Amino acid sequence: MASQMTEMLKGTLDGIVLALLADRPAYGYEITSWLRDRGFTDIAEGTVYALLVRIERRALVDVEKVPSEKGPPRKVYTLNPTGRAHLDEFWRTWSFLAEVIEQLRTPGARAPRQTGE
Amino acid sequence: MVAKWIETLTGPLEQKKQYREAKARIQALPSPYRQTADALNRYLTLYAAVTDGATLVQMHSDLADLLERAAADNTPVGDVVGDDPVDFAETFALAYGGKQWIDKERQRLIRAIEDAKRDEPQ
Repeated sequence: MASQMTEMLKGTLDGIVLALLADRPAYGYEITSWLRDRGFTDIAEGTVYALLVRIERRALVDVEKVPSEKGPPRKVYTLNPTGRAHLDEFWRTWSFLAEVIEQLRTPGARAPRQTGE
Repeated sequence: MVAKWIETLTGPLEQKKQYREAKARIQALPSPYRQTADALNRYLTLYAAVTDGATLVQMHSDLADLLERAAADNTPVGDVVGDDPVDFAETFALAYGGKQWIDKERQRLIRAIEDAKRDEPQ
């Protein structure tokens, strides 16, 4: 993935994953696949896992271990009320950022410059 | 009594046991997952400089979870850590913030700036 994409994703990936988990509980691999299917093709499984460990330690999700047919049990992540509040906050921040940045793209909508007339 | 005396020297025995378990799980991984875990562990131990035993054990055990899963699914190592292993390791270490050596220094920096602000002319 281009490095600009990597940098931009850093600040938003937590919110993206919380939004995914708001729909239904999921395990790490499902989340990685979902992201790859939607165009984040180069995202590493470990990156998603590191994020999941982080939101687990910040108590935004509840974790349940379910046995898997092969290998160790899988951890299923469920958004909890703290996570939901965090997600609401993410959407508010996102709307604000998206709006301000989008305004920059349309020159006419920019704040009028002082012309000195 | 004796156990208590030993623990003050060596850290809680239960923690040591968990640490050895995480280590053993990593040593039991097939190649190339074992080498990957060893390399990441080395870097994380140095980089994160975790000051608290329980967090260090948790970090090792979380890493073992990740690579055991990858080994079971035959996920290529490159898909696990991505193009930039350093970035991956440092992102991973973020989860264990608040228990790192640098956190003390961060607090010290914050206090020092607060003190400096008080000396500002009104």
